[in-house]
Amino acid sequence: MATALSSFRYGDSLVVVGISVCTAFLCEGISWLLIYRTSTYKSLRSSIDKASKKLESMKSTSSSSAAATSGAAAGAPAASSKKPSSRAKKMDRVETSLKESTRDLSLSKFKSGAVVAGVLFVVFGLLNSLFEGRAVAKLPFSPIPLVLKMSHRGLPGTDPTDCSMVFLYFLCSISIRTNLQKFLGFSPPRGAAGAGLFPMPDPKIS
Amino acid sequence: MKKSKSAKVQSQQQNGHVLPFKFAKLLDPEASWDKDQLGDVLHWIRQVLGLVCGLLWGAIPLVGAIWILVFLVLSSGIIYGYYAHILKIDEEEYGGHATLLQEGLFASFTLFLLAWILVYSLAHF
Repeated sequence: MATALSSFRYGDSLVVVGISVCTAFLCEGISWLLIYRTSTYKSLRSSIDKASKKLESMKSTSSSSAAATSGAAAGAPAASSKKPSSRAKKMDRVETSLKESTRDLSLSKFKSGAVVAGVLFVVFGLLNSLFEGRAVAKLPFSPIPLVLKMSHRGLPGTDPTDCSMVFLYFLCSISIRTNLQKFLGFSPPRGAAGAGLFPMPDPKIS
Repeated sequence: MKKSKSAKVQSQQQNGHVLPFKFAKLLDPEASWDKDQLGDVLHWIRQVLGLVCGLLWGAIPLVGAIWILVFLVLSSGIIYGYYAHILKIDEEEYGGHATLLQEGLFASFTLFLLAWILVYSLAHF
């Protein structure tokens, strides 16, 4: 295998990817051992899923009834004003419960996350010592200055298309771990995530 | 005209047209979708697009930052075309276009870059 890799000028990139894949599986294994198989995590996850689904259905019910009452004749204004306020209070309660469960879920992961962070620290140090000062890949584009700081970190010369281990490891971490978590069903629940445009792999466990 | 998918009964079974495989649902405009299910499907489609485009861009090779934009536009266009024209869903029921289009976007972007960089580096140097 070493001979095969050495025949490629940038065979080191495969080593980085291979180590990233192994690290991702190791981290998920540790997380499963310390977090996912615990009853606390399972019950919190279940309550977040239920609360977010309940909140969604309450929101859709309130928006459809608001559309209905706005077109209806003014029949019983006193009676109709009570229902929306009690529904709003219910929604607030469900939302508060959802936030609390999300916070508790984060806390439960935080304690075990230190172990995973330690593993990642060791792996990064190992990769750094192996590939410091060497371009492990060639970029097919010139990155913007902000990205260049990471992609050209520790490399000699001024060629912007030289790719350092740090940038490649970053890409591997995000893509491999996010999809591995998704595949194994360990990604954070959508109701709690609020991840927006740049969802990272669950930071508490990676 | 967009139909409400989440409340739709699967009439195929009543008509005797039973879908034999789960994957058939991916191309069925009459199927009803749970928000999480749809999100997961769009996520994995994005990942496949990212991987395929990365492998292709690296093999040809396509060089230049413009091809990053091409990928983003292409993959978003395909995702939009899939849920709007093949599944024919009402995006308002699933959080709007932004929610559906950003599903799996960042992970697929990094996967695309990884595949592109790897194939380009290994195949052309």
